[in-house]
This record gives sequence, C-alpha cells and structure tokens, in this order.
Amino acid sequence: MKKLAAITVILLIGSAIILSFKTETAKVNTTATLPKDSVGSVKAFISVYKVLMSARCMNCHPSGDVPLQGDDSHLHTMNVKRGADGHGMYSVRCSNCHQAENTRGLHMPPGNPKWGLPPANMRMVFQGRTPRELALQLLDPKQNGGRTKAQLIDHMANDALVGWAWHPGDGRTLPPLTRPAFAAQVRAWIAKGAYAPGADAK
Amino acid sequence: METKEVSRRNFLRVTGIAGTALCLGFYFPANAKQEELVTASGAADSEIEMNAWIRIDANGKVTLTDHRAEMGQGSYQSVPQIIAEELEVDLKDINVVFAQGDQAKYGSQITGGSSTIRGIYKKLLKLSATAREMLITAAATKWNVPGGECYAESGHVIHKPSGKKFNYGELVAVASKLPAPKEVKLKKISEYKLIRKPLQKLDTPLKTNGGAIFGLDKKLPGMLYAVVERNPRQRGKVKSFSDAAALKVPGVKHVFKVQMKVFNTIREGVAVVADSTWAAMQGRKVLHVEWDDSGFEHVNSADLFKRQEELLRKEEGLFAKKQGDPDKAIEQAAKKIDVIYQTPYQAHSAMEPLNCVAYYQSDKVEVWGPIQAPDWVQGGISTEFKIPKEKIIVNMTFLGGGFGRKAFLDYPLEAVTISKEIGKPVQVVWTREDDMTQGPFRAGISYRGQGAIENGEISALKFKMAGQNIDHWNSPKRDHANGSTTEGFLNPYFESIKNISFADVPFEMPLPNMWWRSVYASTNGFAYESFMNEMAVLAGQDQLDFRRRYLKDERCQRLIDKMEEVSGWKSRKKGDGFGVAITECFTSTVGQVVKVSRRADGKVKIDHVWAVMDCGWYVNPDIISAQVEGSIVMALGAATTHEITFKDGLTEQQNFYNYQMPRMSDMPLVEVHVMDNDADAGGVGEPGLPPFSPALTDAIFDLTGKRIRKLPFDMNAV
Amino acid sequence: MITLNVNGQRHNVDADPNMPLLWAIRDILGLTGTKYGCGAAQCGACTVHLNGEAVRSCVTKVSRAAGQQIVTIEGLSVANDHPLQLAWNELNVPQCGYCQSGQLMSAAVLLRENPNPTDQDIDDAMSGNICRCGTYQRVRAAIHKAAAMQREGAKI
Repeated sequence: MKKLAAITVILLIGSAIILSFKTETAKVNTTATLPKDSVGSVKAFISVYKVLMSARCMNCHPSGDVPLQGDDSHLHTMNVKRGADGHGMYSVRCSNCHQAENTRGLHMPPGNPKWGLPPANMRMVFQGRTPRELALQLLDPKQNGGRTKAQLIDHMANDALVGWAWHPGDGRTLPPLTRPAFAAQVRAWIAKGAYAPGADAK
Repeated sequence: METKEVSRRNFLRVTGIAGTALCLGFYFPANAKQEELVTASGAADSEIEMNAWIRIDANGKVTLTDHRAEMGQGSYQSVPQIIAEELEVDLKDINVVFAQGDQAKYGSQITGGSSTIRGIYKKLLKLSATAREMLITAAATKWNVPGGECYAESGHVIHKPSGKKFNYGELVAVASKLPAPKEVKLKKISEYKLIRKPLQKLDTPLKTNGGAIFGLDKKLPGMLYAVVERNPRQRGKVKSFSDAAALKVPGVKHVFKVQMKVFNTIREGVAVVADSTWAAMQGRKVLHVEWDDSGFEHVNSADLFKRQEELLRKEEGLFAKKQGDPDKAIEQAAKKIDVIYQTPYQAHSAMEPLNCVAYYQSDKVEVWGPIQAPDWVQGGISTEFKIPKEKIIVNMTFLGGGFGRKAFLDYPLEAVTISKEIGKPVQVVWTREDDMTQGPFRAGISYRGQGAIENGEISALKFKMAGQNIDHWNSPKRDHANGSTTEGFLNPYFESIKNISFADVPFEMPLPNMWWRSVYASTNGFAYESFMNEMAVLAGQDQLDFRRRYLKDERCQRLIDKMEEVSGWKSRKKGDGFGVAITECFTSTVGQVVKVSRRADGKVKIDHVWAVMDCGWYVNPDIISAQVEGSIVMALGAATTHEITFKDGLTEQQNFYNYQMPRMSDMPLVEVHVMDNDADAGGVGEPGLPPFSPALTDAIFDLTGKRIRKLPFDMNAV
Repeated sequence: MITLNVNGQRHNVDADPNMPLLWAIRDILGLTGTKYGCGAAQCGACTVHLNGEAVRSCVTKVSRAAGQQIVTIEGLSVANDHPLQLAWNELNVPQCGYCQSGQLMSAAVLLRENPNPTDQDIDDAMSGNICRCGTYQRVRAAIHKAAAMQREGAKI
C-alpha cells in the first residue's frame, strides 16, 4: 500500500509537470449537460468573455489584420500582418521570431509551436466584440473553425496555444481566471444552454 | 575592390620605397599652421614621417589611404572620387585602405562636424593633380618630348602627337625621384568627369555580401569576448559583487571590476570575459552586483524639463549674441508671442552597438574598432595608460553607424583596460541595452522664444535656451554662454532683424551628454524655425515669403525659389498641410517642405518631403541625396517617437522595443535637390536633419491649426 | 556536437544548444556577415534563412537549426550577383551597411514568394528590418528594380 502511494505521488508529479506546460486540465466529459439555466449560462459566459478579452487572448484575435502586443494591446510593431494562413507574410512570418517556447527575458518574443493568428478565411475576431456578439460568434461553426460545442470546450480547455495565455513569459499579465477556472466557466456556459448575453451586457 | 588593413610596418616602408612606387602625402609639422605636400623621396631626404595618401606602385595599382572613418556618410567613395578626378585614374583601379590613428601624419581625423570633404577637398585635389603632373613629366622625360605634348587619362600618360602611351606603373620609378611641382593647374568644375557625378559607391559590393569588416567582425587568434555590467546610473560605484555563479557558466574565464573615465567622472562596472560572446552574456546574467549610487542626483525627466522651463521664465541667462534692444521692442509691441519649445534626450543607437578589440602587450597596444576619431583614441590611450603614442596602433574598421557616439573614447579605453588585465586580445561587446542606457545622450533642451511684429515686420526676436552643455564635460564653469547657442540659425537673419538676442541659461545635470548628428542644430533648429513659422502666422504672411524678406543673401533667395518650385508651393490644395523650415549646419544650408494630409482612417500621414541642399562645391550628388534621406528618417524618429527618459536616475528605454525606430512602413517619400554653385564645400552628413521637425510640425499646424512645441509627439494623436 | 548546414556546408559545432544561432554563426563558424543589432528580434540585422524562412538568428537557438538548411548573406549568391545584390549596387542602397545583410535576406524571401511586389508588399515584408541610416526609400526602389531584373531573366 505504501509502495503504491509512492508511485501515485510520482505519477501526480509527472502529470503535474506535463499539465503545467501543456493542458492544465485533464480531459473531461465535454458532452455533459445541465438543466438549462439562461442566467447561469450568461453569467458563466461573462467570466469567459473577460478572459477572452484579456490581452493574452485578444492580442491574437484582433479586429484588423495586425496582431496586438503587450498588456495595452497596441498594434504589433514592424507592420506585422496576418497573412492568408494566419502565420504572417513573406519575411515577417510569426515563427521567424516566435520560437516553440517563450524566449526568456522581458520584452522577448513569446513562443509556442503553433504561434499565430486565426487564418484570413476564419478570422475569429475578439477585439471590439460585445459579449453577445462574441458568444454568438463562438457558437457559430461558420465562424468558429467548424467546431461543435464539445470541440469548442476542448479547444478552450486543452489547446496548447490557448494554454500559452497562462504561461506568457516574463512581464505579461495573466488572464483574470486560471485555466481550470476558465475551462469550468466555458463548460458551465455550454452545459447550461450556451446562452448569449443580451445586447446590453458588458 | 577589397579592404585590407595597413600595418604600421607598411607605412614605415612607404618612406623608403622611392624608385619603386610613387607616394604622395602631406606632412603635418607639429608647429606649423600649413601642412606641406611631400613625396616619398622628399620625405626620405628630410627624414620626416609622411602619410602616404596616394601610392602608385610599379603595377600601376593606386592605393588611397582614407584618413577618415566610413560610417555610412560616404568617405570611402567621395575621397577616391576626388582623387581619381585629378589623378586621371579609373575609380575601379583604386584600392582604399583606412588610415591608422595618427594626428601627426594625417592632421585631425575626427569624422565629425560633417568635415571629411569640406575639410580637405582642396588639398586632395592638389595632391592628385601633383601626382598626375609628376607622371606626365616622367613620361615626357622618358620619351624626350615636351611635357605639353602629353596628357593623362585612365591611368596612362599619352603622347598626343604619336599616340604612344605609358601606364602609370611604368612611370613610377622615374616620377618618384622628381621634385613635386610647386604649382599645378586644377580642373574647372565644367571639366570634371567624375566629381559631381552620381557614381556607384565603391563599398557597396562589400556591404551586400557580408564582406565588409565592421568592428564587431574583427577576430584575432586567441581573442576572448567581454561584456561589462556597468552602473545603471552611469556614475555610481561598485559596492560589491559576487562572481561565483558567473564563473560557473561554461566558457567564462574571468570576472573583475573595471573603472572607466567618462569625461570628468568615473564609470564603474564588472567585466565578464569568456570564450564566446554568448557565454560572456550568460555569465553576466548571473552576476550579482551591488551599487553605491550616493553623491549625485538621481534624475527624473519630468523634473528636469520643469526646471528648465522655470529657469527660462526666471533668468536672463548669458548672452551669446545681442543686437539692438529686443526687450524694449517686445514691451512696446502690440503683436507678440512668448512660447516654450522642448526637445528630448536622444540615444545615438547606431545599428552596430559599441564594441572594440584591444590587445595590450608589453611593447605595444593595438586596437581595432568602429572608431570615429582614431587620432583621439591614440591620444587617449597614451594619456590613460602612460604609453608613448608611437607604441599605440589604432585601426579603424567600417563603422555600423556613428552619429557622434563613436567619436568618444570610453569604449576603446575599456577594451584596452580589459586586455591589460587578462593579458590577451579581447573584444568588448556592448549589448543593445548597454548602448541605449549608458549614454552619453544628446541633451534634451528647452527654449523660450519671444517675438514681436510691428507693421507686418519682425521688430524683435529673443531666444533663450536651457540645457546641458557638451563643453562642460571637463569644466562645468559657467561664465560664458554655450558657444553653439545660435547654431542652426541662419546668419542673414542677423542682418535684417534689428533687435535680436540669444542667451544660454546655465543648467546642469549629472547625465553624460555629447554630440548627436547635427549637434545643437538638431534642437535649436526645431525651436528657432518653429518660431519663425509662428512669427509668419502672427504677421499674417506666407512662411516662404516671410523668410524671403529676411534672408536677403543671394544663396538663400535661390534656395527659397527652389523650395517653392519643386514642392509646388504655390499650387498647394485645400486639405493639404504644407510646412517649411530652413537651417544652417556645418556651413551648408538646407530647406525642407513637408506635406501632410489626413488619411481615411483619420490619422495624419506624411505624403512628401522636399529637401533642398546648398552645400557649395560637392563630390557625389547621390551621396548627398542619401545623406539627406537618412537625416530625415533620423529626424522623423526624433520628432515622433524617440525620447530617452530617466526615472530615479535610470534610463527607461533599453532596446528597440521601447525606443521604436522608424521602419519601412513609416518612410515618407523624400525628394532631394542639390543647389549648383561653386562656393566652398559645406557639410553633407548632418545638415539635412535639423529642418525636418520644424517643417513637419508646421505642416501639421497648416492642416490642423495645432502648433506642436514639444518633441516627440505622437503622429497618431494629431 | 550539433550539425549545422550553412551555405551548403556541414559543420559539427560544439555549442550550448541554447546558444542563439547568431553567435554560433559569428563566433564559432566565423561568418560575420550576419549581424548582432538588438538580441531581441527587433531589428532584423541577424536575419538568415532557415529552411527558406527569414528567421531572426539572435533568438533562434542552435538546437532549432540543428540539421536544417541555413543560408547566410555569404551564401545568398556565389558572385554577389543575386538580382537584389545587383540592384543594391546600382542604386547605392547601403550607407553604413550594417543592417544590409538582414535587409537583403528579408527581401530575398519576399522576391521568392512574390516576384512582383507592390509598395504595400514591401512595407509588409520589410518592416521587420531597421535601418538607422534611413535607407528605406532605396531599399524599396532596389526591390522593385530586382523584381524587374528577375522578370527579365536574371538568375537567382
């Protein structure tokens, strides 16, 4: 029994290390539903919205074709552009500077193997969207990359590039919720009926 | 075309090769005002050490020693272009080498003040014509024909009646034994074949294939690399440091404290020496240094400018120039203005960060680096290390930009200090952050302009400046005005404006400061020419016509006509913002017209800049265009983004992420016109910079009605 | 030992895998045409081609470049005759020249992917390369010139 406990601890440490760099939350049953609850669903979405509109998420979901930078979400210097595939143009491709991992140090390029914006034909704009607009957009497979609700939850909860937002490197503010808390709110939003907030919600 | 380093041994040999090569240079007698032109045989006879400016060997190969730095301003092209003209050789047959630092041989070598051409072109023309005449005489002697029947062309002397020819190489044996003629005839401007032509630059091939050797590219066998953690408040001391972690970094060899003289203060730091630049940088990252920053003010930028403004309101200052009685005229006038302009501290930020290679040996010291003033470096090492100058060899590499910063001695001296400590050759590399945070900076200066208009005419101008004075590096004594208080302001104004004064209000700060491209004209020009534009508005007159009334000098009048013509000034449309400024800098006058408009997205865009340069006699109009284009880009950064600020004595900007350079997408269309005249040559590398910011802000005023008096300003917010 | 394939030559280098490619190229291989300007992927002076992409070698670790195809300015052409190099010479583009290796390496990717770039394309491709001397207007003109030369059949 003692031996088993020790092994478990090791496994936990092992998985914790993996989680801290990759997924954070273990896979959960993303198809779970709860009784419909428009108030609870909207409330959960507002929490989700705050995360999505934080600099760490919004900077790569800009309204234009220029990514944003910094906690103040200024236009990316160097006239960087989205490009057709979302990974930049010509000699200014994302991965020319952004490595597979954050480059250490203040103001150094953050990194991830998938670093980039959504592609030009699926721009997934966050910047400037009201909560209602963003909720409807996220739920619309024509605008969300063809994702089902389950895939949407999986993306938010497990995608490695999304997960970068919680390991953004030196000097960058974290989103307002932890990733597990964020994932929980996404699940709650959808499980409670995936309601979009009213037009006047902020 | 290749660059090679000339060793000192080669130089000494030069004096002894009469008969096998023709060498001509100048001898700068220590106590004489006028240098003498000498030939190698003449030098050998009189045992003087000459510089071999031009050397033609028995193969006809011409080697030219460029006594000045090449930092982008074009000496590598313009100096040979002058020599090839009068020497009658093809540019492609000239090999250019950089001179080593030696004031006794070359006279002043400081590449500053836009002085390379204007300082020496007459001598170079004469030197080359002298060589040509000696070669012609040699040929005539060999053919036994009158010299008048011979002429030189393309590296050959040709006997006109017979068509016989010698190439220069065949003539050097005879020519080198001839005495130099006392007088030679120089070409008229109309006879030039190379000068005034936009020829392709000789150094471009080296700069398109990675072949040009900059300071950072210099490698020596066994060389180590050093980075230095310097006090972030520039003049503080090292209290203590721990080297344990740094010494554990693979490749790190030494960690020790260094002291460096910076003007009249000492900068302290800790050097990390390793077998690669990267290892040294890694070692530095884990260095723990405690600083003692007591005994001097920790500057805050906001306070600094507030203090300047208070001084300008309170103090009369020290007059640099005064005529008439501006105070009385201003007091009596009904129409007057009284405004403050502010310009920020600036970093030089050459693309090649500071660096230097040094090798301190028991019998000599040799340095290689991007050095603007090799003769000063030689002198500085001699003084600091108490070594005779003849044991100090200073080699200039190509400079990856200089802008004034690389005329300072701290970084070569630092390299020598470190090499002496470790007993090995070392390359000291400044990171971009070191380069940006340590200064010396261009000082931020505030100005107060007061002026009055009577009957549509300027009845008085009164300017005061308050800012750090570069001359106070070594002596902060304030008993006379900054000698550059009127720099940038056009002299003809003094003839047509009766009541006028310029004063300098003493202002001191413990921040290292020094010249920056176009020096005081870069800040004065903004204040003085912005003010002239404000006066034009007050007088209800067109800015160009207004200047015409006061700049009665003929060259200025022609310059204004040209500005008007090329910019379409008279046919400008509603909705366009047009602005102008004219400044003088290093004896050249540059006028600029800037056009701005509002884009569909509401932001103001610079559509076009027309620059008219009057630099008198010139060599290569394309180099002039390039220098003015570049000056405008540098001025654009200084006007719209660049500001070095200090908080608690620390520089707040570290790298291009918070000191944003203009980029391709910011580049306005620049059109440069060069005035044609044969007046003495003026500067080229710097004079294009000062008029840009006042012309730009004037254009914005024209478009928006808003006058910008503080730089930098945000183009996106106007 | 890490294998670096630079300009068609294989080098086995003994370097910290975390060392930026820039310093390996310059200090170990001695190819000094690639420049250090900022160390923070801000200026583009260190641009080299990694499998054809214009990467900033100051933030690219040698571990990423191991075994990949690297081309530096020294390998852009054999005889300094890439259309861009010819155009750079013709239009006197460089001043101090320090940033020009990076400018050329970036421009080469642009021309390869877009043989007929507009001014906007040039803005989009070249704004990652800082030139303190302010040669932008000439870089732009020279890219147009090289594109024309390339269309007329100059070899690449």
